[in-house]
Amino acid sequence: MDTHATQTRPSANHIRMACDTGGTFTDLVVEDGAEIRLFKASTTPDDPVRGVLDALDLAARHYRLELGDFLNRGAMFVHGTTRAINAIITGRTAKTAFITTKGHRDILVMREGGRIEPFNFTVAYPEPYVPRRYTFEVNERIDARGNIVESLNETDFIATIKKLQALKIEAVGVCLLWSVVNPVHERRVGELLKLHLPDVPYTLSHQLNPTLREYRRASATVIDASLKPLMSRYLDGLTNRLQDAGFNGRTLMVTSGGGIMDAAAVARAPIHSINSGPAMAPVAGRFYAERDFGNAIAIVADTGGTTFDVSLVRDGRIPWSRETWIGQRTRGHMTGFPSVDIKSIGAGGGSIAWVDSGGILQVGPQSAGSTPGPVAYGRGGTEPTVTDCALILGYIDPDFFLGGAMVLDREGATRQLRMKVADPLGIKVEEAAAAVLRLSTEKMVGAIEEITVNQGIDPTSAVMIGGGGAAGLNAVAVARRLQCAGVLIPEAGAVMSAAGALMSELSSDYAQLQFTTSDRFAGDKINEVLAALRKRCLEFAEGPGAGALDCQIEYSVEARYPHQIWEIDVSLPLDQVKNEDDLKRVTDAFHDTHQRIFEISDRNSNVEFVTWRAKVRCRLNDRPAGTLPPEGDFAGGRAKRPVYFSELGWSDVAVHRYEAMQPGEPVAGPAIIESSFSTVVVDPGTVAERTASGGLCVTF
Amino acid sequence: MSEQVLKKAPDGVQMAMISSRMETIARKMQNTLFRTARSGILNTAHDFSCVILTADCKLLAAAESLPNHTLIGPDLMCQAVLKHHPVLERGDCFLHNSPYEGNSHAADHCMIVPVIDDEGILRFFVLAKAHQADCGNSRPSSYLADVKDLYEEGALIFSATKIQEEYKTNHDIVRMCQARIRVPDQWWGDFLASLGSVRIGERELLNLGREIGWDMLEGYATRWFDYSEQKMIEAIGRLSSGRVVLVSAHDPFPGIPDGIPVKVDVEVDTAQARIIVDLRDNSDCQPCGLNLTEATAKSAAMIGIFNGILDHHVTANAGSFRRIDIRVRENCCVGIPRHPASCSVATTNLADHVTNPVQRAIAELSAGHGQAATGPIQPPGMGVISGRDPYNNDEPFINQVHIGISGGAGTPVTDGFLTMIHAGNAGMCHIDSVEVDELHHPIIVHDRHILDDTEGAGTFRGAPSVYSEYGPWGGNSLTVLYTADGTITPAAGARGGGAGGMSRAAMRRADGSVVDLPPCYGVTLQPDERMISHSSGGGGYGSPRERDPARVLHDLAEGWISVQRARDVYGVAVKGSPEDDNLELDIVQTRILRSGRSELAVAV
Repeated sequence: MDTHATQTRPSANHIRMACDTGGTFTDLVVEDGAEIRLFKASTTPDDPVRGVLDALDLAARHYRLELGDFLNRGAMFVHGTTRAINAIITGRTAKTAFITTKGHRDILVMREGGRIEPFNFTVAYPEPYVPRRYTFEVNERIDARGNIVESLNETDFIATIKKLQALKIEAVGVCLLWSVVNPVHERRVGELLKLHLPDVPYTLSHQLNPTLREYRRASATVIDASLKPLMSRYLDGLTNRLQDAGFNGRTLMVTSGGGIMDAAAVARAPIHSINSGPAMAPVAGRFYAERDFGNAIAIVADTGGTTFDVSLVRDGRIPWSRETWIGQRTRGHMTGFPSVDIKSIGAGGGSIAWVDSGGILQVGPQSAGSTPGPVAYGRGGTEPTVTDCALILGYIDPDFFLGGAMVLDREGATRQLRMKVADPLGIKVEEAAAAVLRLSTEKMVGAIEEITVNQGIDPTSAVMIGGGGAAGLNAVAVARRLQCAGVLIPEAGAVMSAAGALMSELSSDYAQLQFTTSDRFAGDKINEVLAALRKRCLEFAEGPGAGALDCQIEYSVEARYPHQIWEIDVSLPLDQVKNEDDLKRVTDAFHDTHQRIFEISDRNSNVEFVTWRAKVRCRLNDRPAGTLPPEGDFAGGRAKRPVYFSELGWSDVAVHRYEAMQPGEPVAGPAIIESSFSTVVVDPGTVAERTASGGLCVTF
Repeated sequence: MSEQVLKKAPDGVQMAMISSRMETIARKMQNTLFRTARSGILNTAHDFSCVILTADCKLLAAAESLPNHTLIGPDLMCQAVLKHHPVLERGDCFLHNSPYEGNSHAADHCMIVPVIDDEGILRFFVLAKAHQADCGNSRPSSYLADVKDLYEEGALIFSATKIQEEYKTNHDIVRMCQARIRVPDQWWGDFLASLGSVRIGERELLNLGREIGWDMLEGYATRWFDYSEQKMIEAIGRLSSGRVVLVSAHDPFPGIPDGIPVKVDVEVDTAQARIIVDLRDNSDCQPCGLNLTEATAKSAAMIGIFNGILDHHVTANAGSFRRIDIRVRENCCVGIPRHPASCSVATTNLADHVTNPVQRAIAELSAGHGQAATGPIQPPGMGVISGRDPYNNDEPFINQVHIGISGGAGTPVTDGFLTMIHAGNAGMCHIDSVEVDELHHPIIVHDRHILDDTEGAGTFRGAPSVYSEYGPWGGNSLTVLYTADGTITPAAGARGGGAGGMSRAAMRRADGSVVDLPPCYGVTLQPDERMISHSSGGGGYGSPRERDPARVLHDLAEGWISVQRARDVYGVAVKGSPEDDNLELDIVQTRILRSGRSELAVAV
């Protein structure tokens, strides 16, 4: 679908492209000079690269170029995909073995314990990521201080390798206890695997994810190993087909950490790609917060068809979490991998509205997804969804959905909502629809409050950035309910993930576990660790980062008060700790961070330092991202239409074209603002205005 | 929300909105406590709970927490606050841990804040309960079973003690605690975390009341209770009526050489939609720390009911509780304790012997409901360890470890949950990371794995036992205190299911030999000596010979059971072997084995 009115030829060799393969659509953002253009093609699950090429074809046609000519002008192609996560969810990963220390074969079985829903016994205990029968112990042991308690028995391990061969194992994950303190055994196991099983990829835990706690490290390791065969094939295929089609630029992948990496590097550590889609929204959010709000604290909300993802930006930094799960907490698999801290709930356009046996309205957690989708899609859906309600209320124009690409069945939606929700509640159908939107708003507010309290942020001091195709339906209501300072719907909001990919930097993270305390600070050892981290960052900057505009290294440490179990990430104000003053700066940084997140600190207490980290970021371009061209296609837009708000009832409400709005010309709510990819509901009592840089800012 | 509906009875839409707000508030309280706590028991094991109660002390909402903390107890404790402080002011906060007035055991410190509106009217209570690493007991453990009374137990007892007035902390009380509690800094950190939690709950409820009106919130509570009661009526309606009396027994302990039998009398009346559990025909308070409190006795019975109805859509609150009648008496070991009886272990051991027969009784009455027994608790794999840390200037340390525990009972629809820990906990607590344990304490964990063939066999089997072996590291000795139950009486099966594996305490001497140890004991291990622990497995539900052969095959392939057990107990024959990863069901042999020839049906 191409909804752009003008066709100017792109300037040579500078096009940057970002392509996000989602469950339903493959979104492509093309940045050419100061302008960005959006293209959407259907995702082709049987061969996702075809969907990517389809989207590229649309773009080429828009620019009136052959695909080869168009691609030939591309400097960079950034890709985000749900391929890895889908492979895990559907169990289509490699047949993987798990190698661990003698006596601890059940690390993946027993996990870290924990359960949700105390009285729900319908959910079985989760199966381990690697079956017990493919788990093998190694005779060796290292203690917490890195001393060898028992040497590695190589003869026994070679016998184990023979078993792996006989079992036709396709990938191997190795996680030995305390390999993060002394990797000598784990490294040797890797060498033996390479020697005796040369065609089978393996992952070593201390190299992939050098973090404390054996379950999450092991889990990350086996997940990574299990993805290697599949993701190597996929990324090879993508790179080759792009090249065959005429692309000579650099192919990059977005990572769970909110950065980008060369596709080849991701193939070597594919776990980086499992949360890549959602991780891009906060990167884009950070940019918009900086551009339009002078780096205010931002709540970044990304509303898609099935999920609502919230993340935060503070001081230009995106908080990280190592508590990331595939699936539900305690029921899924922990990735144990630093990832952008995102809270995700099942509340999107596809969430189903229903009334329970006690007469109380419910929204979700079931979703109609993209198949059959909302009733209004006319694809056989019978359960009314949030999208159906938005249509009933007049928020969405049935003839102008996705720029007119799909005509919606408003009557069908109304009929189903009446039967399933309005009649059981004994209220009018439009009031039922408004209630569904309100409840969905309330659930989103709950998710935001949870993540903000965890990070010690007061929503009233923050701005909200609303992205994703369904964001505009209630972004204003959500932000208003939270009493945020305002809400921004960015011009590329509907494809915020893809836009974020264009803005992200080439990055790599390194970590080393080295336990020490502030009262007996092992200065020499820590400085050695920091120097080694710095060296690895510089190697990256000179390798994949060569030619970047600039490279920055950020140091941080995971630290805690004595007896605390959960460390917090503390930015280090220095890269060597040379004297008492330096140490004081480090401990002060910890106390300050603790105070900020938890509203308490204990300045007389010692501090324990666990894992030291360095992140290198290389900026590949000098402008963050272009803006949508000011002119637009107005076909299908109408000046007014009847819209229902609880406060006002039905009224004729002004409908504005996003692209046609100008800074300095505020639009007072109630109003609807439409673009080809989304609709923004401007509630009564709020005011919307285009910002100088092109976004839409709503205040109240 | 339009003005005219802001009256007393909220509609289905408003109910949904307020309910979502209440859940968020309880979760915020919980997150605050979890994220800021200092002790491993709280921040690793999650042994804490946050609840909201109405002004008349009814449980309204709880963040997902330990059921034995939340069902009954918060209500009784708020009543105690009202009794001792008839006039409550905004800014008050009470510290309460008295087992004689609604608390569980003394190690659970509760913070209670009355939520007073701008007119000075009491609207709600918020309560946070957190298990302390140490509560000033006479010996370094928060569970002392072998003490004859409260005095020998030694805990500091607080009865609705006003710890804050006008939001200012009374430091006299803080100093009392710091003078008596072994890890004063850690306690202080946890104190601040709990305080933060209740104050956040208070702030949020005040905001909510101001926003939507207190009458509306009251109307919400009324309708929410009615709604929950209705759900409970429906759930009970799916059971079968009848009365069953079952007996369980705690193993003998020092001071109670014959153990403690527990008798539960369970009556399900589907016509009246009521479940009655009578616990009165049981022993008086015993001269040991195992006595239950009113809160833990009633909660334990209720957990058996909520587990048994197999419908997690029934919200556990004062509304659904209207359909439950738990009868207890004063001066009873599974009832209301009489001062100075000790209730040091009131949350676990005997409590499980109340829960387990209740859920088994429901199973015996109603096919497709109830559960088998969850494994008894407190093997050395979750002992309290203490000593001096050679890696930290020989400073003293103490903590409860959660290294090797399991115990989930077979249910009508799923196998026992491996890391259930025990019935009252519902698996909500976490188990330790070996690396974290070894970094924090001078210990080494040599082994922890599932013991095969220890599951309570069944159509849905129980969780197997977990073996663990650990000892001192770094050159000093290590003291381990534990109070293991289930070394004599295993977790029983239900509806023809088998019993779970028994717990065991033993030590490995420096020469490698293994000697068994008593079930309730404290041992000081020298370097090169090791503690050995078997946790209890859970009982099975239904006949093992009706277990889906595919599940048997899976357990076999995964090494949870042996080929022989598959054949003898489950009546499943296979071709191939687990070692060669080529197992296949032998359909013909299995059919013969399962055809009912009684000599093949080995006792399970």
